[in-house]
Amino acid sequence: MPLKYAYHPGNVAHSSATEVAQTMEPAAKSLGIELVPLLGATSCGAGIIRQASRRLQLTLNARTFAMAEEMSLDIITPCAATAGNLYEDLHTLKSNPNLLGEINDVLERTCGRRFNGDTNVHHLLHVIVDEIGLEKLESAVLNPFDLDTAGFYGPNIQQEGACGNDDVHDPTYLEQVIDAIGGRPVSWESRTQSVGVPGLFSEEPTVLRQAAAVLSEAKHEGAKIIVSACNLSHTVLDVYQGKASQATGLATNIPVIHLTEMLAFALGHHNDRLAQLRTRVAVIGD
Amino acid sequence: MTDSPLLILFGSESGNSEYLAVEAEKQAKSLGLSPSVKGMDEIKIEDLVEVKNVIIYCSTWGEGDMPDNAVDLWEAANGDSPPSLEGCNFAVCALGDTSYEFFCQSGKDWDGWFEKQGATRILDRVDCDVEYEDPAADFTSKTLSIFSSMAGGAPIESQVLEDAPPELESIAEGEFDLGEGLEGLLSSGDRSLHILFGSQSGNSEELAAKYAKKASDFGLDATVHDMDGFDLSSMSSMKRVLIICSTWGEGDMPDNAEELWQEASSDSAPKLDGTFFSVLALGDTSYEFFCESGKDWDRRLEEMGATRLVDRVDCDVDYDAMAEAWSLDTLAAMAAVDGNGTFLEDQVDAIKDHVGGTAAVASGEDGFTVPSLEAEAIQVEISIFRYDPESATTGRDTWVCALPGNISVMGALRALKDTHDGSLTFRDGQDDDPTTAISVNGRLILPGSVSIDSVASQREDSLQLRIEPIPAFDVIRDLVVDLWPLERSRESSEPWMIAATRSGANTSQGVIGIMEPGVADHLHSITDFCSAPLLHSSSDATPHSDDYMGPAVLARMWARMNDPRSSARSISAIKEMIDSPSGIKAETDLASIRRQNASSRIISDALLDARTATLGRDAFNGRHGKHVWWYSWSVKSSGMVNDTVLYRQVLGPLGLFGNLFSGVTARMVLGFTRTGGNMFNGMLGMVAPPAGIGKMPKQFNSSVDNHHEVVAIFNEVDGRF
Repeated sequence: MPLKYAYHPGNVAHSSATEVAQTMEPAAKSLGIELVPLLGATSCGAGIIRQASRRLQLTLNARTFAMAEEMSLDIITPCAATAGNLYEDLHTLKSNPNLLGEINDVLERTCGRRFNGDTNVHHLLHVIVDEIGLEKLESAVLNPFDLDTAGFYGPNIQQEGACGNDDVHDPTYLEQVIDAIGGRPVSWESRTQSVGVPGLFSEEPTVLRQAAAVLSEAKHEGAKIIVSACNLSHTVLDVYQGKASQATGLATNIPVIHLTEMLAFALGHHNDRLAQLRTRVAVIGD
Repeated sequence: MTDSPLLILFGSESGNSEYLAVEAEKQAKSLGLSPSVKGMDEIKIEDLVEVKNVIIYCSTWGEGDMPDNAVDLWEAANGDSPPSLEGCNFAVCALGDTSYEFFCQSGKDWDGWFEKQGATRILDRVDCDVEYEDPAADFTSKTLSIFSSMAGGAPIESQVLEDAPPELESIAEGEFDLGEGLEGLLSSGDRSLHILFGSQSGNSEELAAKYAKKASDFGLDATVHDMDGFDLSSMSSMKRVLIICSTWGEGDMPDNAEELWQEASSDSAPKLDGTFFSVLALGDTSYEFFCESGKDWDRRLEEMGATRLVDRVDCDVDYDAMAEAWSLDTLAAMAAVDGNGTFLEDQVDAIKDHVGGTAAVASGEDGFTVPSLEAEAIQVEISIFRYDPESATTGRDTWVCALPGNISVMGALRALKDTHDGSLTFRDGQDDDPTTAISVNGRLILPGSVSIDSVASQREDSLQLRIEPIPAFDVIRDLVVDLWPLERSRESSEPWMIAATRSGANTSQGVIGIMEPGVADHLHSITDFCSAPLLHSSSDATPHSDDYMGPAVLARMWARMNDPRSSARSISAIKEMIDSPSGIKAETDLASIRRQNASSRIISDALLDARTATLGRDAFNGRHGKHVWWYSWSVKSSGMVNDTVLYRQVLGPLGLFGNLFSGVTARMVLGFTRTGGNMFNGMLGMVAPPAGIGKMPKQFNSSVDNHHEVVAIFNEVDGRF
C-alpha cells in the first residue's frame, strides 16, 4: 500500500533549486511514496509575508490546507522552511477555533473553500524515518553514498511538533538516513542553526557570517559534503559560499546538496550526476 | 528491657562508617541494649557464628572495593568454609558515592553474604550517598528500634510467633487494639512502600507524589519511582508496590513505561511471590481501549506471583474522586502488611479509623510538598567544553560515570568539580539563577532546574551530555561567559519606566492606576522569561552581529512601548531604538528563537509584531521593507515567489554588480556544487540571459492553478500589495 501525500515542492524548487524538484519525484517513487501535486498551492510565505501581515500568510496557507483536505491527504514537502512555516500556521489555526472561523469566512468569500482542520504537514525526512522505515530505505539502496556527510536541518523543522519523533534540539534522523544509505554521518553542532535566509537581502553581513560558521564547522569536523533538508538554506549555503569566505576569512569550500538529491543518487537515479558529485567532492576543499 | 548483645561492625576508609558505628553504640546503650563496636579488622569470620544481632556500616572504596580494614574479613568470608549464620539478625548500612559506577558495592556485598549464610535481614539495606548523615541516622534509629523490641537474639520471624514482646505478639494474632499495638505495627519493621508511575501527561506522576506524601500517615515510608529506568529485578525484594499508570493512544503504554513493560512481559521477568500490589489505571472512556495499560499491569503482576491486595480501579478523565477512594483503601491495606510480609486483613479498618483524620488533611493541597523522586543510577558520558584563558587553548574533557537520572545538570557539574577536576569552572547559584545558563546538547537551559535524564535521550544504554557555554558571549573560562555586553545593551535601552500622567480609578483605598487584565497579561507574557542571557543566546544572529541588541532587550522594549503607563516621549524614544539598524531589523531569523520553548514562542510572536510595526512605519522602504514588500508582491502576482524580482528590486543595480564580482552570480549560473539539471530553464534563458540559465531563477513564473483566488485573498486581507 503506497503512502500518498499532497506534494508541496517548497518555495524555490521551481526556480533556483530545480534539482530538488527533479530528484524528489524519482526518490519518492523508489520509496513507495505517491505524490499528488498541489497545483494551486502558493508559497508558504517563508516567514516573510507574515512580517507584513500575519493574517495574510495564515489565509494563504489555510487555502493550501483546504486544498489538501479536499484531496483527503496530508501534505509532504522536501523543504524544511516550508514544512516549518506550514506547521506553525496549521498549529495556529487548529488551536484557535475563533481565528479559524474568521479565516474561513475570508476563504469562502474569496475562494469558495473551507478548512476544517483535517490535514497535517510532514517533511520528507520524517516520513522516511517514521513511516517508511530505515530498513526499507537501506534495502532499496543501489549506490551506497559512501561519503563523510554533514546533515543540515536548519531551525524551521526543529520545533516541537514539527520534527516527527526526532529530538528538537539534538536530532538524529538525518544521520540515521545517511547511515542507512551507506554514508558516514559527521557529528557537528551547527546542524540546527539558522543561516539567516529571511535576512539574506537585508542583513547580508550577518547572514554571511552565519553561513560561514556553518560551512566551516562542517569542514572542520571532517565532512566532505553537506546535505541539507531545506531548499532555501541549501541554496544559500551553496551560492554564497565564496562571498561568505571573503567576508570572514573562514574556509567554506564544500559541496552542498539537498536531501532529495542524496536519496535519488543512492536509490539509483541520475547516475551521471552522482559521478559529477563524486568528482566535485574529490577536487573541492582545502 | 531485656539485655540484648549487639555487635556493631564497621568497615571504614575515611572514618565515616566508624563514626556511625560509635554513634549507634551510644543510642543502643540508651535503649538498654548491650552493644559492642568492632572494626572489621578486629574480628575473625568464625566469631560471627556466636553473634545473634549485628549491624554493619561499610563504605566502598575505588571501583567497588572493600575498605582496607575490611579486606581480610571479606576474603575469609568468601573462603572455602564460610560459617552458617542461622539465627543471626542483621542490617546493613552502605556508604558510597553515586558519581562512581559501583555505588555502595561493599555494603551490597556484605548484605548479600549475610543472607546467603542464613542470617535474617531485619531491615532493608540503606545505600547512602555522600550526604549520608540523614539516611544513616534514620537507618540507625529504625534498626535499634527493632532490636530493642526483640527479646534475646532469636530471629525475628520466630520471635514474633513464639517469643515476641506483647505488642508484636498481638500483631501476629490479629488481636491488637488501637493504641500501642497498632502504633507498633505502623512504626516497626520494614515499612517501605514503592509507587511506580507510568505517565504521559503528568497526571500519574502527580498522583504518585501525592500518595507518597499521604503514605506517611499510614506509617509507610514511600518511594516514588519513574517507570523509565526502573530496575525490575529489584521488585522481587519489595513487599508493597503500587502502580499508577495512564493509557496512551490505542491502548498503548505511556512512553516512560514502555521499556519496563517489555521487560515485565518477557519470560525472564522476576517472581514476585512476596509482593503485595494494587493498580490505579487512568484512561479515557472515549477511547476504545479504556485503561488498557493499567489492566495490563494488573494482570501481569498477578502472573508474576504478586498478590493483589485491593482491586484495580479504572478512572475516566475526571479521576480525582475515584483515585482518592482507591488511595485510602490501598494505603490502609498496604499498611496492614507487617514487617514480615504478612497481610493482617482484620487490621485494615482499624488502620483506616486510626489515620482517617490525618489522611484527610494530607489529601488537601495546602501545605502539600512533593517528595523527592528516586531514580536508578544511569551511565552518563559528560563532555564539557574547556577554555584556558592563560594559554588561550580550547578543548573538551570527557568523563564517564554513574549518576542518578534525576540529578540536575548543576548537580552533575558540582559532583565533577568536587570529585574529579577542581579546576572545572561554571557559574554556580540557585536553581533559577539566570546567569547560570549553559547549553546542553543544543538546548539552552538553567542547569539547576533541569535533570540530566530530561535534557538528553538515552542512547546505547547511556546518556551523552555535551555541555557548552551559551553562544553569543565571549568565554571567560570553561562554561563561564562575559555577560557585561548584554547588561550594557540593556542599560543603553533605558529600560526604566517613564510614566505618563494619567487618571486613575476611584477605589475604596483611594485613587489608583489600573490596567486592563488582558493587557497586563499580554505584557507579562512577553517579559516572562527565566533568563535574559539565555533568551539573548537563542537568536542565531546574535553571535554574528556586533550591534544587534538581541531578543531579550528588544522584548522588554516592545513591552514597555505597549505599556499604557509609558509616556508618549518614552514611547517615541523606544520606537526609535527598535527601528534602528541594531533593533528588530538586525534579527535575521525569528525561527531560531521560536523553537526553544513555549515562552520563546510567545516572545518570537511579539518580536514579529515589533518587526511588522517597524516595516509599517518605514512604509516598506529600505532593504528590509523592500524584501518583504516584493516577496509578497511576487506571490500575489503568480502564487510563487520570484527570486529574480527580489534580487533586482531589493539589491538594486549596485547589489547585483557586487554579486557578479563576488562569485554569487557565477555560482548561480553554473549550479556549482549542486549537481546537474538543464543548462537553460526554458526559452527565456536563451534570449534574455542570465534569467533561467543554470540555477539562475526564471524571469517570470507561471501562475499556480486558480491564481485568481490568491489575488482575491490579497485584495481582501491586505490591499497594500
